[in-house]
Amino acid sequence: MAILEIKNLTKSFGDNEILKGIDLQVNKGDVVSILGPSGSGKTTLLRCINFLEKPDSGILSFDGIDHDLSQITKNDIAAIRKKTGFVFQSYNLFANKTVLENVTLGLTSARKVPKKEAIEKAMDVLKKVGMDEKANQYPSQLSGGQQQRVGIARALATDPEIIYFDEPTSALDPQLTAEVLEVMRTLVDDGMTMIVVTHEMSFAKEVSSHAVFMADGVIVEEGFGKEFFENPKQARTREFLRLATN
Amino acid sequence: MFNSDTLELLVSSFPKILEFGLKVTLPLAAIAFILSTVIAVIVAMIQYANVPVLRQISRFYIWIIRGTPLLVQLMVAFYGLPLIGIRANPFVMAVIVFSFNEGAYSSETMRAAMEAVPAGQLEAGYCSGLNYLQIMWHIILPQAFRTAFPSLFNALISMVKDTSLASSITVVEMFTRTKQIAGQSYNYFPLYIEVALVYLIFCTVLTYLQKKGEKILGTYGVRK
Repeated sequence: MAILEIKNLTKSFGDNEILKGIDLQVNKGDVVSILGPSGSGKTTLLRCINFLEKPDSGILSFDGIDHDLSQITKNDIAAIRKKTGFVFQSYNLFANKTVLENVTLGLTSARKVPKKEAIEKAMDVLKKVGMDEKANQYPSQLSGGQQQRVGIARALATDPEIIYFDEPTSALDPQLTAEVLEVMRTLVDDGMTMIVVTHEMSFAKEVSSHAVFMADGVIVEEGFGKEFFENPKQARTREFLRLATN
Repeated sequence: MFNSDTLELLVSSFPKILEFGLKVTLPLAAIAFILSTVIAVIVAMIQYANVPVLRQISRFYIWIIRGTPLLVQLMVAFYGLPLIGIRANPFVMAVIVFSFNEGAYSSETMRAAMEAVPAGQLEAGYCSGLNYLQIMWHIILPQAFRTAFPSLFNALISMVKDTSLASSITVVEMFTRTKQIAGQSYNYFPLYIEVALVYLIFCTVLTYLQKKGEKILGTYGVRK
């Protein structure tokens, strides 16, 4: 069953056309990795799907409800966002909140979950990412890898139908990257639906049920399972994978 | 000049001067500061959120206030407000003028502090399902307030001293009271030194409170 389906999504910044008509379908339990060189539009695509950038046109259907992206309302955007989670490249933890408050805020404030229940839920997800012992620390007291694990816990806490990861390990050294990827693997094992924009090729190959290669604002090639990585059909994909895995 | 009479005058006038400092000068500054901070946050939020029409009104307000002297604003309010049917005692009028005057300056401080909060904080708020006002309340304003706090406190310290201008609209505050006492004895200079010292004491206490305040607001775990 498709959770998310987008058709012909376009986005320009001024005269610069970043996304030139993207189609993508994500089913429940899919792990979709979006690969491609810098400037190909991967991050913009992810940000458009969660309306951090306003798409110019296209259709987005979420849970089977179609939305025309050129005239989607604030209420529809808010409703879709409440069913999704987002993990940022630069973590973006709330600087004035403790680790625990970072995770509970979306529950108590946005979803009116009673405080006690929210704290229980938050401690659950913090335990899952191995950050329960840091619950009362502030983000500035944590390493990048720890901050990103809290970022993942924050996204998980609201039981989203899908989590978007925007290059979650690009700002981390190899050791901290491994620590974050380990957490992401447990989500994959739990059957979480996710879209991951990443440059971590071996991780993408290992976990992806569906891989998408983008360049210059279009999807050049997509494939399912390991087939995409082992037998890419387009020359451009082959060249990218060869460079990226060396 | 500094004979025993002078010393006696200084000692006997001190409680009278301090009384008007505590009863008029400090309350005037404190009430006006609180109101000015409320005005500043509202005006800064209007500009931060780019609300049409209200944004233009805000810029106009800031333009008028920053472009005219405080003393002139006090006079205009004192003679002008009764003409349009607003009657208030001089103290209340002074509170209003000081609030709107400081509000214009502090709104720019607040706006700068809000704009200094990284955009990612707002985005993370949206992605957590919060609406705009919830993000303002829980994320942006607390962080901006922490940044703006020293500058806002600067404004408070300035205002404590500027309240002496309220004498121009017949408010008997600490400085006016000093002038009255001095007028009775014709011994101006020592009393002006004395009132200067009282202002200095007030501002020293405020500086101490600022330090305490910054500690309470904290730096979100950043070790100093």
